[in-house]
This record gives sequence, structure tokens and C-alpha cells, in this order.
Amino acid sequence: MRRYFLNIWEAISTIAKGMGVTLVHFTPARKSITIQYPDRTPVPVVETLPERSRGMLTFDPDVCDACSMCAMTCPIDCISIDRERVEGAKGFVLKRFDIDMAKCMYCGLCTEACPVKPKGLEHTREFEGATDRMEDLILEFIDEKKHRELVEKALKKAEKLKAAQNEE
Amino acid sequence: MPEFRTEEMVLNMGPQHPSTHGVMRFVVHTDGEVMRVAKPDVGYLHRSIEKIAEKLKYPQFMPFTDRIDYLAAMNCNMGYAMTVEKLAGIEVPPRAEYIRVIASELNRIASHLISVGVMGLELGAVTPFLHAIRERETINDLMEELCGARLTYNYIRIGGVAQDLPAGFAEKTIEFLDHFVPAVDEYNRLLSYNKIFVKRMADVAVISAENAVDYGLVGPNLRASGVKWDLRRDEPYSVYPQFEFDIPVGTGEKGQVGDCYDRYMLRIREMVESSRIIKQCLAAVPDGPVQTKLPASLKVPEGEAYVRTESVRGELGYYVISDGSDKPYRLRIRTGSFSAMSIVELTSRGLMIADLVALIGSLDVVAPEIDR
Repeated sequence: MRRYFLNIWEAISTIAKGMGVTLVHFTPARKSITIQYPDRTPVPVVETLPERSRGMLTFDPDVCDACSMCAMTCPIDCISIDRERVEGAKGFVLKRFDIDMAKCMYCGLCTEACPVKPKGLEHTREFEGATDRMEDLILEFIDEKKHRELVEKALKKAEKLKAAQNEE
Repeated sequence: MPEFRTEEMVLNMGPQHPSTHGVMRFVVHTDGEVMRVAKPDVGYLHRSIEKIAEKLKYPQFMPFTDRIDYLAAMNCNMGYAMTVEKLAGIEVPPRAEYIRVIASELNRIASHLISVGVMGLELGAVTPFLHAIRERETINDLMEELCGARLTYNYIRIGGVAQDLPAGFAEKTIEFLDHFVPAVDEYNRLLSYNKIFVKRMADVAVISAENAVDYGLVGPNLRASGVKWDLRRDEPYSVYPQFEFDIPVGTGEKGQVGDCYDRYMLRIREMVESSRIIKQCLAAVPDGPVQTKLPASLKVPEGEAYVRTESVRGELGYYVISDGSDKPYRLRIRTGSFSAMSIVELTSRGLMIADLVALIGSLDVVAPEIDR
């Protein structure tokens, strides 16, 4: 009989202790840590993320030397690269550089593999990539215009190099 | 008076059930409220990770190890890296070893927080879960600062770690730990010593030490049954021998040794021990490089290696066979959750149906780790 009431007392007192912990959270001593996402944050969440945060990939065709190390390193082949040789220029010129962000698992191995400095392929902090069309997630970084520009750039570079050699 | 005819009823719990920790099924044979037996049926989350490994180069497989146990990705990373390092004879810089231990112990705290929070959640206590998640969020932020991801870290590399500690990381971690250890006491007041919770957990689903060893239980589940076996102490690897920490074991403080409450309390204690390790580790991190320079295409000499590490859910073993090329010939992963599932059938005999969730919760299984 005594045990029975003792059990009830213990149940109530331990619950009260737990409730005490909860109650502390209503006092000004404990500030709320939740935020109203996405529209009522003081600054956009992207800006609060740390520098290393791995979000959507970004690519700079102008620094890339078309070595395709990133595509070879990717474990799930989400980077597709087409490149061609241009007569009169050294190395390759990019024709297509697509990243399928729907496949990408944000592991960051491709950015580590990129040998040029500053890196051509990098993670941004941007993470809000939701869309209702699958095709939107395929990022195409090189269109026809950019390709022509890259070819011209490569030719110019080759010419310059030739001129420098001739001077010597 | 006609006699009641009682029939055995077969119930399916799962595959989609909120308290099965992922996709798995239990075929429950019941006699009224009491279970005759509950047979676990696993395999719903099989993703052929072992087969994928055969198709990828050694460094490329690292992101997949994150997905073996998503709550303890760092520990899975570390086990794989250590196996390949052993096979290829790669030295790891001392600074990288310390960073690895810091990261994986932080991950252990994060995973145990989920585990103890979910145990309460499954028995109807929602508030403690949110407290646990709040603390874990800080660890996630620290991890994001360290490696850029919050869950699938892909941080540890063969021959070191991906990046050095960011500026201010040590201070932030110590600040968190100073806040966290008192928060555990608060958590205990909230849930652990709650009479109703204790009644639901104590003396329920007792696993004796002999059964735990026979069924190959590992990690916290084994230690809760009173067997003091921790690879960090008994088969030390990395820099663990340099640190002072206790191995908590189940004592049966509210019931018998090896009951659900022991398994719960053990995880609470382990979080405090992990905090101790991290503090000592942060104080002792040496300077130096964090990664060994590896050839662009890593070729591993012919042979085989098995390395086991103390992951969050117990012993995590990687067995790699190499044929001398840049891809593993065969990779086998042994995980703690799988052996934990095998004991469900034995322990569930004679248990109440409502206690099955307490049993599964206290075993702290993660479905993807069972199936891989």
C-alpha cells in the first residue's frame, strides 16, 4: 500500500522536475534558438553559412584548362565534358561543361581535384536549388557563344606565345 | 461456460513504421498483448554499397562510406581510410590523427543524442527529443565549419583529412562542451530519472552477458550487458591510448544488468566520456601537415586487410581485398546494427507488444547500416 502511493508521488515529483526544466525556457534567461525560415530571417541564411559550406557547384570557363580531372574524379559521373582540339592552339578547348545537380551528392571531390589556381570548379554556399523541373538542375556552363569566345581566346594566346618566341 | 479459444495473431510492424528507425519489418506473433516472437525482416534499404566499391577507385569510395551510417558518417570514413592505409602502408601525419579523433568523437556525441532523444520519443516523451536535437544542431554547425557538410561529411581522406581545422574551431568546440556537460544533467532531470520513463525501460528486454556475446552484439549494446569491451581501449588505434577516459558499463541501477534502461543510460555516460576525450585532444593537437601526398592514381599492393574501429554503433569492420589495381577487388563491411537485429528474435519472446519499440529503440539500430 505504501509502495503504491510512493510510486504515485515519485511519478508526480519527477514529472514536476522535468516540467521545471521546460519552465526555465519560458524565462528570458533562455533565448529561443529557432528562426523563421525562409522569409523572416534577419539576413539570408546563405550569408550565415561558413566559408567551407558545400552548396551548389559553380564553374568558371575562363580559368579552366579543360583537363577534365573533375569529371574523372566524380564517383557518380555527374559532370559531362566535351572538349576539342583547335588547330593552331595548344591543349583543349571546352565545348560542353554540364553538371547534373540532381545527381550530385555534394561530396566535394571534384573541387579538390581541380588543379588550376584559382579553382575553376567550386562549391558556392547557395543551397536553395529547389525547382519543379528536373531539367533546371542540369547546369550548362558553356553555350555556343561562350565556346566561340574560348576558341578565339585560345588562338590569341597561341599567337602571343608564337610572337614571344619569335622575338627571342 | 465455454472456454475462450485463443489464436495466435500475426501482425506486421513496418516496413513503414515511425518507430522502426528506417525501413524494416517485424513479423510479430502475438497472443493477446504478449508477443510469442518478433521476427525482424531486414533488407529494404539494401543499396549494394559493397558492390559499388568494386567499381570505384579507392578515394572515390569515401563519400559512399558516409551513407553506411548516416548518423556517424565520420566514424565510417575513418574506418575505411584506416583499412586502405593499412593495406597500402600509408603514414598519417600526427595532426591529422588528432583531428580525426576530435571529429569522430563529436560525431559520437551527435549520434548518441539522437539515440537517447528517440528512445524518449518512442515512449511518448516528445520534449526531450527537441532538447537533444538542439544540442546536436550545435555539433552540426561545428561540423559544417570543419568540412562543409552537416550530415554526409566526406571529410577524412586516405592519408589524412581533407582540410585543416578552421580558425576558432577549438574555442567554439570547448565553448560547446562547457555548455554541453551541464546540459546532460538537465537532460537527466527532464527524462532519465522520470519515474514513468524508468518504469517503461527498467527490467524490460534484458540481454544477459552470455547472450550478448553469443549473438555478437558490439559497442554500447554489449557494454550495457556488463561486458567491458571497447576497441578504443582494448585494441587501441589512432591516438586513443594517449587519452584518459572511462568505459561505462551497464550496472543495472534501476533494474537488471542489460535491460533497456542500462542501454539508455550507457549512451548518456558515453557522451560525457566523449566530451572528455575531445577536450584532451584539443589541448594536445600538434602542428604539422594534415595530409600525406598521394600519387594521383592510388594503386594498392596486392593483399588483404581487415580493420575494426569502435564506431558509434559498435565495432565497424572493413575488409578489403586488393588485386594490385586502383580499385578494390572486394570490400566487405561488418556493422554493429546487423548483429543487434539478430538478438531481437530471442529477446522479444514473452515481451509486451508496447515494449518492442523500447527494445528496438534501446538497441539504437540504423536501418541503412543493417542493409548497406
